[in-house]
Amino acid sequence: MFKKILIANRGEIALRILAACKELGIQTVAVYSEADRHSLHVRFADEAVCIGPARSSESYLNIPQVISAAEIANVDAIHPGYGFLSENANFAEVCQASHIAFIGPTPEVIRMMGEKDRARAEVAKAGLPIIPGSDGVVPDEDAAEKTAQEIGYPVMIKAAEGGGGRGMRIVRSKRELLPAFRTARAEAEAAFGSPNVYMEKLIERPRHIEFQVLGDQHGRVIHLGERECSLQRRHQKVLEESPSVVIDQSTRERIGGLVTKALERIGYTGAGTVEFLREESGDLYFIEMNARIQVEHPVTEMVTGVDLVKSQIRIAAGEKICDVVGKFDFRGHAIECRINAEDPDTFVPSPGRITTFRVPGGPGIRVDTAAYADAVIPPYYDSLIAKLIAYGRDRAEAIIRMQVALDGFVVEGVKTTIPLHKRILAHPDFVAGKLDTHFLERVGLAEAKHA
Amino acid sequence: MAKKTKQQAGRDFVGSISLSEIERLLAFMQKHGLEEFEYQQGDVHIRLKKAAGGTAVTPAAASAPAVFPPPASAEDQPVAAVAPSHTVPVPVAEDLHIVKSPIVGTFYAAASPDADPFVTVGSRVQSGQVLCIIEAMKLMNEIEADASGEIARIFVENGHPVEYGEPLFGIRTGSKR
Repeated sequence: MFKKILIANRGEIALRILAACKELGIQTVAVYSEADRHSLHVRFADEAVCIGPARSSESYLNIPQVISAAEIANVDAIHPGYGFLSENANFAEVCQASHIAFIGPTPEVIRMMGEKDRARAEVAKAGLPIIPGSDGVVPDEDAAEKTAQEIGYPVMIKAAEGGGGRGMRIVRSKRELLPAFRTARAEAEAAFGSPNVYMEKLIERPRHIEFQVLGDQHGRVIHLGERECSLQRRHQKVLEESPSVVIDQSTRERIGGLVTKALERIGYTGAGTVEFLREESGDLYFIEMNARIQVEHPVTEMVTGVDLVKSQIRIAAGEKICDVVGKFDFRGHAIECRINAEDPDTFVPSPGRITTFRVPGGPGIRVDTAAYADAVIPPYYDSLIAKLIAYGRDRAEAIIRMQVALDGFVVEGVKTTIPLHKRILAHPDFVAGKLDTHFLERVGLAEAKHA
Repeated sequence: MAKKTKQQAGRDFVGSISLSEIERLLAFMQKHGLEEFEYQQGDVHIRLKKAAGGTAVTPAAASAPAVFPPPASAEDQPVAAVAPSHTVPVPVAEDLHIVKSPIVGTFYAAASPDADPFVTVGSRVQSGQVLCIIEAMKLMNEIEADASGEIARIFVENGHPVEYGEPLFGIRTGSKR
């Protein structure tokens, strides 16, 4: 087992990793930017090294500084958390070259999952359903008609060299296809210098369903069920839950089985999440894989009883999945609200000094946070200040516990999205489980996406 | 976060100083109304600084392997000076220009183990002159002076780890503001 781990992250996830290390009797080394000098993860770690000024690129993303800190503190392993360097294959390679264990998949697997086309091709080979689409660029109008026919309407035409809605067209029938194809190509040329477009099946009102996996270094991969993360704003998740109301046990076993087989074939190690879009008809399509621990991992921990972060560490130290995880079952329901330091109506970030920070408790309530009264939320990093998780024997109990907990969560000094979450939890569509990725816009809780 | 004391030959030691010696130093400070006391001899380096409610004692850093206790918070009472080479510099009587480390690594005072140090206390330096080497990931980085003047203080010891922003040298620039 590792003797000392460096935590290459900050905020709540750094504290989370620190706690897991302490539980395992492992010494901790925190790295921090000058803006995080008074952070909790820095103060609770056994050792702490300042690695740069506030800007992420000069501190948390600065590979030489992080590796240097790992060397002078003489660590055995680095846990990259989420974001920052967690899916940087180059960083994983530098760790290897420096004889420091990287708590995550191998550089090759990270690289594969980071290249979206390659990831799709690999998992398709391994039997996972992917979104039907053109094989790369659609070269001309004949190909466009043929591809659209194969995929089935409605289809989405997308620019190959860029995003942001430009060069994008929705086509609902054959009649609309060629005009849309021509316009999309013209727009793409104007915006990105290349008229190349590709085509994909349009999944309307999709649900975002993701499966949590753990793979050991002995070739075994298991899944720990799914999470529903449909409530998003500008592709950022706002609220997550497990299980999903639309996934029954047989679907869970079927998709879970496909996922674990595919990942064993690929040689996946560590924690990871396989993301799908689910059509209203029930079909699931792979979109991408996140080769790291995720923000919303607590909801899976609550319903399975498995400590995912400790599992990551033990797997990286060479232990087998059966010893690390053992038997578990899916019990109850968990919901997580991401509390951001933002205006709950305009979503404008609200950094500053927290003056009051009263955290709810009681049965089934978990709060993952690095914030505290008198802490200063710096403007340089993301706005997540706390994750509020509510667990109940069923979804109804989780919802009521979350509502009560939100009422008891008092934060002053900065604005937070607590009021937004209260509105979500009270909405009848949410209570009825009528979710899709456009939920927040649909119910008027988030401004509409631009064109 | 201070390092733990060791039992040596039945007496309590902090680093290589005995507790009774520290008590004598504290009494000395008290008697003469001193706010601050710093002592260095060989690889023993002690700094005692008085704060509201009492003094905090730091052990000698000596030749211990890299230890980076978490930085002292400004709100902490009393102000705990951690291992000497890793504090914010003690306010000194005069205004020195502080050369800080721009990187994380290991500080070397000379170009090689048998070479003379680049500078010593008293050396006159020009802006741009190499003052030391900080080794990071097997690369030797030359650290240059960003001011001219005389080396008044050297804050780190040869072979010791340094973090970003760590004070390395105090240069007496001799310019009046």
